[in-house]
Amino acid sequence: MFTDLSMTVFSIFAQMSVGAFVVLGVVQVLARSRGGRSSEEIDRLTDPATYAVGVTLVLGLAASIFHLGTPMNAINVLRHLDASWLSREIAFGLGFAGLGFVFAATQYLKWGSPLLRQALAGLTALVGVGLVASMAMIYTTLEAVPAWNSWVTPVQFAITTLLLGSLAVGAAFMGTVMWRRRQMEQQGELPTTDARDLETITTSLKGIAVASILLLGAAFVVIPLHLNELSQGGATAVASAEVFSGAVFSLRLALVFLGAGLLGVLVYRFAARTHADPRPLAVVATVAFGLVFVGEFIGRWQFYESMTRIGM
Amino acid sequence: MAVTLGFYFDQTLCNGCKACQIACKDKHDTAIGVNWRRVAEYGGGTWQITGDTFSPNIFANYLTMACNHCDDAVCVDVCPTTAMHQREDGVVVVDDDLCVGCRYCEWSCPYSAPQYDAETGRMSKCDLCTDYREAGLDPACVAACPSRALDWGPIDELREQYGDVAGIAPLPDPSVTRPNLVIKPHHSAEPVGAATGAITNPREV
Repeated sequence: MFTDLSMTVFSIFAQMSVGAFVVLGVVQVLARSRGGRSSEEIDRLTDPATYAVGVTLVLGLAASIFHLGTPMNAINVLRHLDASWLSREIAFGLGFAGLGFVFAATQYLKWGSPLLRQALAGLTALVGVGLVASMAMIYTTLEAVPAWNSWVTPVQFAITTLLLGSLAVGAAFMGTVMWRRRQMEQQGELPTTDARDLETITTSLKGIAVASILLLGAAFVVIPLHLNELSQGGATAVASAEVFSGAVFSLRLALVFLGAGLLGVLVYRFAARTHADPRPLAVVATVAFGLVFVGEFIGRWQFYESMTRIGM
Repeated sequence: MAVTLGFYFDQTLCNGCKACQIACKDKHDTAIGVNWRRVAEYGGGTWQITGDTFSPNIFANYLTMACNHCDDAVCVDVCPTTAMHQREDGVVVVDDDLCVGCRYCEWSCPYSAPQYDAETGRMSKCDLCTDYREAGLDPACVAACPSRALDWGPIDELREQYGDVAGIAPLPDPSVTRPNLVIKPHHSAEPVGAATGAITNPREV
């Protein structure tokens, strides 16, 4: 039970971190390609979210330690890179964390040219994708566990990565806006947000809303296909599908649907209108992220619960 | 190349007394819940219909299982620390100095051979009673069996003598890990993939 919790926290936080980093990269690239904004202006919007990625990644990596029976031997997990996907996962995880830290430091201190920093960010994102891919390989290659030994595992990991990453970035953008306005209020100023900043943010939020609705659709196609696959497998496969039923499973589906679907529509609508007060958009974007986070957390918990092995 | 060792199990002789399981537990003093050798009770059945009469047509058999020190030991492949390794004689063992207790080997094994010991924070498993064998004795499970259903030895010799059946229900298809195991099946044993029965003591195995 406790080991399941640490694996759930680790895998969800690590995938969300990779997803958010990739989405921030997409926002950067698109914002630059639209022109009219300097890289400093765009950085000012994305940097706080980038630093937040570091926090969630470190939280996830820290949680993974609690999964180990002998944490003192933790360094040994890098000894089998030529065969073990678990070794590779940790190598990619440390690589992503290390490169991400260097990138964040160069952003903060404005070291190197913007192009150099972009190249570093691109490399970091690639290693992050390697992290999610190696995580998926750990489970999908296990012939002994029918619920995991499926094409569904990498697809679901990819969906979770992008869905949580997108919505986390949306919530982080709006959090940054609200936090800056609050600082202005505390200094006795009228809270304002630069119109062009707001435009970049609402454009991003619109894209995030569309992405989350599409990913929700993909998730809701994959789930029945997975259940169908398990129902046609052997007795062990059928038994492992039992966890995907009942109130908790329904709650997970409902939360992801409400967060990514219903609130996704609201996020798009609020973002499409120019608001003097960005508060409603901030509230909806944050609640959407919260609901999907809890839904995906339950989903990952049940993923570990579905570990039923063939044989005896 | 050293001789590869394995187990032989005569299912037709086993009466499910579980002396092998207890002898193993006693010899290795394993913790509660850690059982390197376990005995499954496998059973099932249907109704035989004769005219208006339904009579039960049932079967039951026993299957004792420890580590099969597989040729394709998946636990060794997946272990991130290389603590799980295969010796020259094919015996798969854990190096306590390296093991991190991540339990990935436990997930990977369809025979439940690697088992987590919460007291040591490490994985533990059958080593085919290395110390007993070095002293010229049989492994504890083999020596304890009152019906002489268990044997061990070089797998080539066991296969020559007893055949090459290694996959009966509820075991996985032998192609998954290529176990060094030979079984003489009970007359009611079901083949892998055509199983109608189930393990009737799931909490014990």
